[in-house]
Amino acid sequence: MNAIYVENLSKVYRTRIKEEGLQASFKALVKPVYKEVQAVNDISFTVEQGEILAFIGPNGAGKSTTIKMLTGILHPTSGRVSVLGLDPVRQRRELSYRIGTVFGQKSQLWFHLPPIDSFVLLGAIYDVDKKTLNKRIAELTELFELGELLQTPVRKLSLGQRIRCEVAASLLHEPDILFLDEPTIGLDVVIKQSIRQLILRMNRERGTTIFLTSHDTGDVERICKRAIIIDQGRIILDQPVKRLKYDYLNRKIIAVRFEFPQHLEVPEGVKLEKSTDISARLSVDTRICSIDGVMRWLIAQGGVADITVEDPPMEEVIASIFQQKEGKSQ
Amino acid sequence: MKAVGKYITVLRISLQNAFVYRSNVLGGFVFYIMFMFVFFNLWRAIYKSGEVAGYSLVQMVWYLCMTELIMFGCRTGVFFQMNEDVKSGSIAYQLNRPYHYVLYQFFNALGGMIFNLLLYGLMAIVIGMIMVGPIPGFSFSTLPYSLISIVLGMCINFFFLMALGLTAFRLEDNTAFYLIYQKLVFMLGMFIPVEFLPGWLQTITRYLPFSYMTWAPARLIVAFSWELFWAVVPVQLLWLTVSFVLTMGMYRYGVAGIQAHGG
Repeated sequence: MNAIYVENLSKVYRTRIKEEGLQASFKALVKPVYKEVQAVNDISFTVEQGEILAFIGPNGAGKSTTIKMLTGILHPTSGRVSVLGLDPVRQRRELSYRIGTVFGQKSQLWFHLPPIDSFVLLGAIYDVDKKTLNKRIAELTELFELGELLQTPVRKLSLGQRIRCEVAASLLHEPDILFLDEPTIGLDVVIKQSIRQLILRMNRERGTTIFLTSHDTGDVERICKRAIIIDQGRIILDQPVKRLKYDYLNRKIIAVRFEFPQHLEVPEGVKLEKSTDISARLSVDTRICSIDGVMRWLIAQGGVADITVEDPPMEEVIASIFQQKEGKSQ
Repeated sequence: MKAVGKYITVLRISLQNAFVYRSNVLGGFVFYIMFMFVFFNLWRAIYKSGEVAGYSLVQMVWYLCMTELIMFGCRTGVFFQMNEDVKSGSIAYQLNRPYHYVLYQFFNALGGMIFNLLLYGLMAIVIGMIMVGPIPGFSFSTLPYSLISIVLGMCINFFFLMALGLTAFRLEDNTAFYLIYQKLVFMLGMFIPVEFLPGWLQTITRYLPFSYMTWAPARLIVAFSWELFWAVVPVQLLWLTVSFVLTMGMYRYGVAGIQAHGG
């Protein structure tokens, strides 16, 4: 069964525009001028139960708007949405019992109170009885390694600790679908990785459907099986991550710094993007040569002082998708 | 029963939060004292002797103590909080929960209101006693009835503030509503008793909700009579109903066209 079904979904925002100057202010007061912004433009897709889907795109692509329509907060301008067989707009309350949401940049926890208080409150809101709630809290505490964080006021938690509590808070009522909107934004690599692992475990152990938006290609590669890429409100790609990885996420960026000047003769599959006497930025095509091989080669050059491996930014990936598409159509 | 329990838990947590977040109240205390000090001196200068429009100096000071108590008691910031939630996008968290948003906000604010009422209430009594001493003819036996009126006044104010706050769902800037509302509350009962207003304005004021938030309960405290009680409390109940229905309507209208910002 489909967990999420979306057909020809569009959302148009109407925002007021005002020109500069006092005169324009008065004019706007009498006769406001509106500008229409097409945030989501005729998208269709389905998500199966138990699937982990990445919904990715650069900032302002329409990811959050889509999540807000799927959860019933925003009313679609046109198109059809069905989540767990329910209409998010008309059956929002019914649906809310069965979905959980995490917005990485916002908090659902009470800022001055320890998370446990917010958990108790959420338990009551979702009609979870006391015994079940305590069991759930104990499970999640172990899984998310919350421990004494539960008793610490939220304002004293680090971002990574807070996000762990946020995700746990969204799982107290055992939702069938978990919507994660940029859950790893602003986190360091280690915490990012642990959040990703938690999401994977939730999916494996409970069969929770995961709908994840991100502009971090790392999130997508490491947890999702399928990815939808959205740009300017339109779906530009919908395919398994495996293929996406092969076609587009096939590059890694390696930045290296040497202790003494080096002259690099790069092997095949490696492109020298930028270099000085003692540092270089390499783009590695992982289809041709492995990261392992490139690292060995670099070490063999001698005098490596520092080395970092990064994913290419989302913007580059999208640019290359467009490039390849144009290439095909010509 | 479960549905009620939900909101009781909201109330409990918000009360807990009010106790933790005390710095807010301390700031309020300073303003309260300043306000009372300025007006105490003003009224003392005006009152050479006797009474004005049925208020003695003692009653006038206690009147202000009470209207201030009601207004400071309502300082839960519901209007600006809702604005902030819409602008930052946090509203997305609050809307997709299995509760009624309006009731949630009410019980959420109630914790703060109860907390404020207790603290500012204590403060009002201390200040009143220091400045002018006890109210002549005051009887503790009628205090519970006046308290009902105070709570009603606070609730009416809360729901009108929330109805105005809900305009944030659709409008980009709604602070003008707040400023106008605040001035009306201030002029029509909070700062001076309705009896001080010119006759024509008194007539208009009787048909508006503002004096039933401040003047009615404060008058009951400084000069209780059953006649007055039965004249104002039913009207308060009526305004409470009106403000509640208005808030529900604003919510339904607002949520259908919400413009959620913040990415």
